[in-house]
Amino acid sequence: MQHAFRLGDAEHNIALSRSARAYRLHVGEQVLDVDLAVAADGRAWLTLGERHLEVVVATRGDDVFVHLDGEAYQLRYRHPLDRLAAAAGGSAADHIRAPMPGSIVAVSVKAGDAVTKGQTLLVMESMKMETTIAAPRDGVVAAVAYEKGQTFDRDALLLSLERAAG
Amino acid sequence: MNPKNPTALAVESWPFTTVLVANRGEIAVRVLRTVQKLGLRGVVVYHAADRGTAAVKMADQAIEISGATPVAAYLDGAQIIAAAKSAGAGAIHPGYGFLSENKGFCAAVEAAGIRFIGPTPEQIDLMGDKVRARTYVEKAGFPVAPSAIEDDDPASFVERSRQVGAPLLIKPSAGGGGKGMRIVRDLALLEQEIERGRSEGQRYFGDGRLYCERYIENPRHIEVQVLGDGQGGVVHVFERECSVQRRFQKIVEETPSPALSPALRAKICETAAGIARSIGYRNAGTVEFIFGQGGEFYFLEMNTRLQVEHPVTEEITGIDLVQEQLRVAAGETLGYGQGDVKSQGHAIEFRIYAEDAARGYTPTTGPILVLHPPEGEGVRWDSGVLQGGEVTSAFDPMIAKLIIRGTDRKDAIARADKALKETVLLGCKTNTAFLRRLIAHPAFVAGDVHTGFLDANPQIAAEPELPSQTLQALLAAAALSTRPMRDVADAVPDLHAAIGGWRN
Repeated sequence: MQHAFRLGDAEHNIALSRSARAYRLHVGEQVLDVDLAVAADGRAWLTLGERHLEVVVATRGDDVFVHLDGEAYQLRYRHPLDRLAAAAGGSAADHIRAPMPGSIVAVSVKAGDAVTKGQTLLVMESMKMETTIAAPRDGVVAAVAYEKGQTFDRDALLLSLERAAG
Repeated sequence: MNPKNPTALAVESWPFTTVLVANRGEIAVRVLRTVQKLGLRGVVVYHAADRGTAAVKMADQAIEISGATPVAAYLDGAQIIAAAKSAGAGAIHPGYGFLSENKGFCAAVEAAGIRFIGPTPEQIDLMGDKVRARTYVEKAGFPVAPSAIEDDDPASFVERSRQVGAPLLIKPSAGGGGKGMRIVRDLALLEQEIERGRSEGQRYFGDGRLYCERYIENPRHIEVQVLGDGQGGVVHVFERECSVQRRFQKIVEETPSPALSPALRAKICETAAGIARSIGYRNAGTVEFIFGQGGEFYFLEMNTRLQVEHPVTEEITGIDLVQEQLRVAAGETLGYGQGDVKSQGHAIEFRIYAEDAARGYTPTTGPILVLHPPEGEGVRWDSGVLQGGEVTSAFDPMIAKLIIRGTDRKDAIARADKALKETVLLGCKTNTAFLRRLIAHPAFVAGDVHTGFLDANPQIAAEPELPSQTLQALLAAAALSTRPMRDVADAVPDLHAAIGGWRN
């Protein structure tokens, strides 16, 4: 069964299966013997073919955080069902997400409003700077997730547009 | 008296036994450490967003304050003074930021019969206004950048600007944030550029008045730590180089500055001490200079508080600057002279920010799932966050400071790379990997950076391409740590897995 992780802007398809001693990781055409032994303090040894690497791993929901060779990485597990749903429809232009954490300074539209491309939807503040979020296309506002004064994290869904007809 | 020797302290005769820290995060922890080391009671105020942080856990007493926003709570002087009274605090330490350079707060604290661990309200007033401070410093005979202010005599403004010489910078008097600023390299274009600057000032600020000053190409930011007791005693505690900046904010600070010869070092440090002496300064303070590639330097401003980057000074001198602030606030004299202040080795501070350097240094948020601070010889970790805590967008994204001491600059850089590599913080992206790329850059290694260095070298901030072996390791670690993937794998015994290809 194929699974996937998102790392940065890229999505990577992989599969995991049992081996006699531990597991096998299937990446593209490659199959690698892998194992992860976790100690009580959270430090862990990752076996990757012939290599043994010290890592620190933490998880929260679908996020996996890995400290490897002096650097921290964040990977997000993509549920097979979510990926199917994403493939079936709903383009990125329907969902307006926060480019960075911040707070809402002004909301210029409400659900049901017809908007045109480039029209100001809301104004957010982050790092003492105001940023205007504009409509990516013509459409109708489906929902506004935040009110003036509320704070949000990066990638939070701020506002969504109704699916474009046709 | 030896400035490094606290045994000579007469803490029991001080007019206060309890100190309230009117701040949060790493600096509240830092101040509390010295307060408690001296046997004084340390009290902290906190907003609910900071419940459970290191400062609140460490304090002998923690008093909750409230506000329309978390930041507003820490700016509410009346509430903080009331908390100090209820805790029986005889002194308030403001840390940096928030109310640390607020004249009204300083005066209100003293009016309430509480010692303000800082300068006098008059000193805050003088140095708090950049133009007034600059005028004062110039009159006192210290170097400020050559300039011409239109308001002084509008009729002769063009001629006086010409005398400043090229290259020069035209700025709107009402301006800020770089808007309407114009660099003039050819004086033949001066009048034309003044007219453009005037119309931009009018458009941006509704005010066309201008001033000109000498433009320093690729400047360095060098500042000098000073200490004064308000009773005639003033020393400098050497310089700090803070030229590595992003968005006009410092990221890396070090001392000694790699740009200074011993003679220039003595000159800039003596200038700073002279400015502090001329106003009878009380408290720890910092005199900031803009430093040109030709070795010329000009007064920029004076900060009348403890600076974020004060630890590098402590590391090379052995002086506890917070202790000195407490002593002079208690009415003691410094008790030592310039000759007693000595420096040894090299120290570098790295500001650990919750931010994504590759995405324009935008702040990040998240839980601190794992935190293993680095350890070892010459490694100091000043932090206000704990494992299990959370980084939110309510405050500044600086979450910790890593301070490294080495026998010399090269040694300090090598130790820094190791410490940054060993810093484990999972759950929220930080700038540690970026800092390692920065200190490996040949210009940084050579000590040859200026305040525009990171803007001129955006590749340092960019995320390097991941080697395929690293990617495989990350995917393996993630797959093996994800329950649904292990469950699926475990559900198929090895034999079937081996022949799985048949069933497809």
